[in-house]
Amino acid sequence: MALIKLDNVSKIYGFGDATTVALDEVSLVIDKGEFVAVMGPSGSGKSTLMNVIGLLDRPSQGRYMLENRSVSRLRSNQSAKIRRDSIGFIFQSFNLLNKLTVIDNVSLPLAYKGISQSKRYKMASNILDRVGIRSREYFYPPQLSGGQAQCVAIARALVNNPKIIIADEPTGNLDSAGSRLVMELLSEIHAMGNTVIFVTHNPELTRYATRVVYMHDGNIIHDENTVIGRVAPRARKVLYTLPVKSIDDDLAGVSALVKAIEPKSSPQKKNKRKRKTVKK
Amino acid sequence: MKLLNDGQLKSAINAFRNTKLRNFWTMLGVIIGVTSFILVVGISEGVKLQILGQVQRIGSDILTIRPNNIQISGSSLDSLTLLSGINVSGSLSPNDLSRVANTKGVKEVVPLSAMTAQINGSGGSYKKGLVIGTTPNFDTLLNQGLSYGNFLNSTSNMVNQVVVGSQAAVDLFNEDVPLGQTVLINNQPFVVRGILDPFPATPLSSGAEFNKALFISYGNSEQMTNNTVTTYEILALPNDPSQALKVQKNIESSLLASHGGQYDFRVLNQDQNLKSSTAILDLVTKLVIGVSAISLLVGGIGIMNVMLVSITERTHEIGIRKALGATNRQILEQFLVESTTLSFIGGLIGVILAYIIDLVLRLFTDIEPSISVTIIILALIISTVIGVIFGSIPAFKAAKKEPIDALRSE
Ligand SMILES: Nc1ncnc2c1ncn2[C@@H]1O[C@H](COP(=O)(O)OP(=O)(O)OP(=O)(O)O)[C@@H](O)[C@H]1O
Ligand SMILES: [Mg+2]
Repeated sequence: MALIKLDNVSKIYGFGDATTVALDEVSLVIDKGEFVAVMGPSGSGKSTLMNVIGLLDRPSQGRYMLENRSVSRLRSNQSAKIRRDSIGFIFQSFNLLNKLTVIDNVSLPLAYKGISQSKRYKMASNILDRVGIRSREYFYPPQLSGGQAQCVAIARALVNNPKIIIADEPTGNLDSAGSRLVMELLSEIHAMGNTVIFVTHNPELTRYATRVVYMHDGNIIHDENTVIGRVAPRARKVLYTLPVKSIDDDLAGVSALVKAIEPKSSPQKKNKRKRKTVKK
Repeated sequence: MKLLNDGQLKSAINAFRNTKLRNFWTMLGVIIGVTSFILVVGISEGVKLQILGQVQRIGSDILTIRPNNIQISGSSLDSLTLLSGINVSGSLSPNDLSRVANTKGVKEVVPLSAMTAQINGSGGSYKKGLVIGTTPNFDTLLNQGLSYGNFLNSTSNMVNQVVVGSQAAVDLFNEDVPLGQTVLINNQPFVVRGILDPFPATPLSSGAEFNKALFISYGNSEQMTNNTVTTYEILALPNDPSQALKVQKNIESSLLASHGGQYDFRVLNQDQNLKSSTAILDLVTKLVIGVSAISLLVGGIGIMNVMLVSITERTHEIGIRKALGATNRQILEQFLVESTTLSFIGGLIGVILAYIIDLVLRLFTDIEPSISVTIIILALIISTVIGVIFGSIPAFKAAKKEPIDALRSE
């Protein structure tokens, strides 16, 4: 069953000369229970895609069906409720509220649902237990390690039992141990039947995914199913490392990626598109 | 509206705790506004009550005749200006006195003349003492008791007797009970016949001055000033209290005839007297309430500014909250609760401060403010409303932020 269905979705920023096409008529179908890794060089539109799927951002054009319901033109309150009830976000920079305790952070989505405080705390405690960080319930986020903070963020994303978990570079700020912890958690969540979409620059992490989507210049240039436990074949050919330190590194990555997927896509079409400035 | 789940209140209090000092400055306007509002209304009510108490003591049927303009013989007496809350300068004549006395329905009259004089007693002196000339029935008409001795009688003017106010008795003599002692008024000797009980203190009024005054017979005061003494007030008691209004009219028309149709005098019953006494008070009250309103307005604007700054600083937080599913309205409520908490706490501090000042006033002055529960509740409601009104613009601004833009800002 198609949980997410994007139909020629575009996202355009700016006007006139300053126009940036962050998403260029992207079509994508994601079924329930998939564990999708999104890869691509910096500025290729991965975050934009996540934000559109997560209803944080509206597409400029195209249709977005979530559970067979058109959500591309929702009013802000309606999309807020869908975010609250159906989507869990995990961000690279954790995005915890530093002035709230761990348990308050985790129960925040429940508060917006109108659930009573005692019930909220019970649910939050349970979920913190599940991600193995219950002992830090009354800590404040600055008192946590990066890995712990991301576990709290994952707990917060899970607490509403959402249909989709969206993680934009969840391991981007973590060392290898932290990354491992977070990816294992996401795997568990996936194993329980949840749909997980995550962005990564690290080809290694594709071994957790069931599917890898490669992006370039706002397009999906390759899309493959993979076997859990093995690095995706195309990703393995991509030599670029994380995080991108310089334009040269990134361009190397891009060319490596483009080379890696050459047989399936048409590079000419891409070349016509004006080159985007790469993020610092 | 269904508002404030406990999480919002909690985050409001949290936000509050985290910026204590700035919040204090923000609340200052509300604090000052609320404090001054409560105090001014309380003082004004308290003073009115005190004046009312005095009027009731004197008797509600007494009529007061005053000139519209008085010049006090000797020098101007500022205390008299405040005496009854009216601006007096001008005088009533002996002729007026007899006319009032002879008006139909008038039982008794008491003239009050005032002059300033050099006063020397055995234990002290006043350079410009207040000397009041009046008649023997003064004490009974005003229900004024004596601590020692007797009030003036009909022969007092012939033997130069004086009755002294309670404070004057202390200031001018070296004996505790100076009955029979001699005091010089403008070098003319007078013998002390009685000492008055203290007059009840009334703020803005003359209780304290009367206590320092010397009372001589009206005849003496005329004689000492070569018949130029200033009569600043005539009190008239009607035969029949129920006819007071009619008597008032009679006096008025009688005086009007003798003053050539000029209203350079006023005849007041105690109601009007009270009103004229509180007229200035009311005006001052309104003015200061105006000032506290401005202060509250400034306080509101302060809250608005702090909230605007806070919202800019917390854009990222707003983004996070929206990403987690907060609706515009929930964000709006969060910030409204915050601004309202701010101004409500400001109001509470203002109330406490008003009570402290009230205590200080009671301890160190004659003023006894009357702070009613209604005023407190009103003040708290006003401060809450200010929080809602001035918090709404920033709160709307916060609510309207696009989630993705808010999340991107750092
Ligand atoms: N708010 C915005 N205004 C203008 N341009 C934007 C905005 N957000 C994104 N872009 C542009 O859209 C393009 C895609 O950005 P996006 O953040 O989706 O890239 P990304 O693949 O997530 O990159 P990275 O790997 O660095 O996170 C970039 O060229 C970026 O400059
Ligand atoms: Mg990104």
